[in-house]
Amino acid sequence: MKVITAYCNLRADECLVNGELVARRDAGSEDSWFKQIYRKQGLTYPKFYKMDVLSQAGYLASELIKRANPGITGAYADDEIAMVFANASSSAETDRRFTQSYKDGGSPSPSLFVYTLPNIVLGEIAILNKWFGENMFAVLPNFAPGFYLNYGQILFGSGSRALLGGWLEVTANTTDVFLFTVEDKGGNVEFNRENLLRLSQAAAQVTS
Amino acid sequence: MIYIGAEVIVSPLGDSVEANWEALSANRSGIALTPGAGFGGEDMHLSKIAGLNGPLRFQQLVIRALSALAQQVDRSILASGRTIVLISSTKGELDDNLNDQFGGACEAVMRQFGLAHYPMVISNACISGVLTLNTAGNMVAAGQYEHVIVIGCDVASDFVLYGFQSLFAVSDKPCAPFDAARKGITLGEGCGAMLVSGIKAVFANSPLELLTGTSANDANHISGPSRTGEGLVRSVSRTMANHGIDIREIDFICAHGTGTVFNDEMEAIAFDRLGLPDKPLNSLKGYFGHTLGAAGVIETAVCLQMIRNEMLIKSLGYHETGTSKPLNIIRENKPEKLRTVLKTASGFGGGNASLMIRYL
Repeated sequence: MKVITAYCNLRADECLVNGELVARRDAGSEDSWFKQIYRKQGLTYPKFYKMDVLSQAGYLASELIKRANPGITGAYADDEIAMVFANASSSAETDRRFTQSYKDGGSPSPSLFVYTLPNIVLGEIAILNKWFGENMFAVLPNFAPGFYLNYGQILFGSGSRALLGGWLEVTANTTDVFLFTVEDKGGNVEFNRENLLRLSQAAAQVTS
Repeated sequence: MIYIGAEVIVSPLGDSVEANWEALSANRSGIALTPGAGFGGEDMHLSKIAGLNGPLRFQQLVIRALSALAQQVDRSILASGRTIVLISSTKGELDDNLNDQFGGACEAVMRQFGLAHYPMVISNACISGVLTLNTAGNMVAAGQYEHVIVIGCDVASDFVLYGFQSLFAVSDKPCAPFDAARKGITLGEGCGAMLVSGIKAVFANSPLELLTGTSANDANHISGPSRTGEGLVRSVSRTMANHGIDIREIDFICAHGTGTVFNDEMEAIAFDRLGLPDKPLNSLKGYFGHTLGAAGVIETAVCLQMIRNEMLIKSLGYHETGTSKPLNIIRENKPEKLRTVLKTASGFGGGNASLMIRYL
């Protein structure tokens, strides 16, 4: 059975892994929210600082998922983990910043331009993990479980053995990130519409 | 069997697939010098569609292509609940609405053609077109849809041109893929469309067979091609293995061939590693420029036309070997009966994708 083996929700001021709160935004910090998570979690990948917000979000969520599900990297060949991501705004936030770079007397910024495609986050995660598998980025009006289920069926039917799925909507006003892994093994969280919807909206478990 | 056909091309070479084929067989390019188009007012070579101006250019092109496709298929499939439209694009209508680059076009197309499902947009840089055709084939094979209409479209914009200029990736002459003197890309715009279906009878003209392929990431660099061609090698070898196709069966390769030094070198290394360096090969970027998310769809449509018209089309702009591993680049048009052709694409984000088309 295909089951969801780990997931991460990254929102405007909280970050959850498997439903447990791992970071809460410090409104008084000078660091961006994503930088706060990076530091608090003790991550070390200097390239993080060069990334745009979409890639930072994908990097953080995928690293936190790997910590929660450490077996996933060793259990598969380097091309057996497929990535299927989507969002509603493409790379609009970075597109806006790149546009600003050349308007009003500036010049177009090459370091911004290379991030003006939504699938770059897939490339960043592939590079970090040396994953040579299938990649797909779709732009959809809303988070749609059916998209992941349908494309997941295709990927599992054509040689992929695990899936890193993701909804990554990061704009100036929105942080709505949900990443999850799907594997074919025992477990009770079936990869289905209800569970994707429920986990995408997971509330932080209260721990005292 | 997965069928593919009803191909449409709207490009600077013409509004119909016939006009495009006529230009290609005459080795006519859509690339022209556009005064003052570059950042800083430089003159730039671009492949732009004459008369496509003003707002909503992306939407206009998509509608034009889908209207042309509708003439070549059983019209009732458009509004069928068993049909979906996939749109392959990088920047969509960025010039009209930066914050929602596809919503306006999707809604307009849905309304105008009475589609049952909201179109799905696939945006994977320059492999978008080939990836979308593969997705279409897989959706039909898995029984998720009966018919999938694939539309690949991108329009030339200051945004993209200035971006490639900032990377020093734009050629000061029309692009010259695989040539020793190549200096970069020429930006183009255009739209291609095709129907992928499991039912032969819905095509007005005989379809061909789509041998659905795979994609693979290079896991190397977000904007630089791999030095070893690893992702492309993996994608092509898996695509061929999945269909039990031996290298001897490949009659022609329609490569990506952007005209940048590193991309074309990467492809040459990959085709050499795959044992395919002797296969007749071209890049169509010398005709259309680089149409980004549209490229894979437009170029696959040309592959269908080459098979139908039994003609190998010259790789425009190529004169002299310019890669460390020589390829058999097509120097002149040549009549040839083609049975199995390979189409590849590679792009930013490390993506590589391939598919095959077979004569029926």
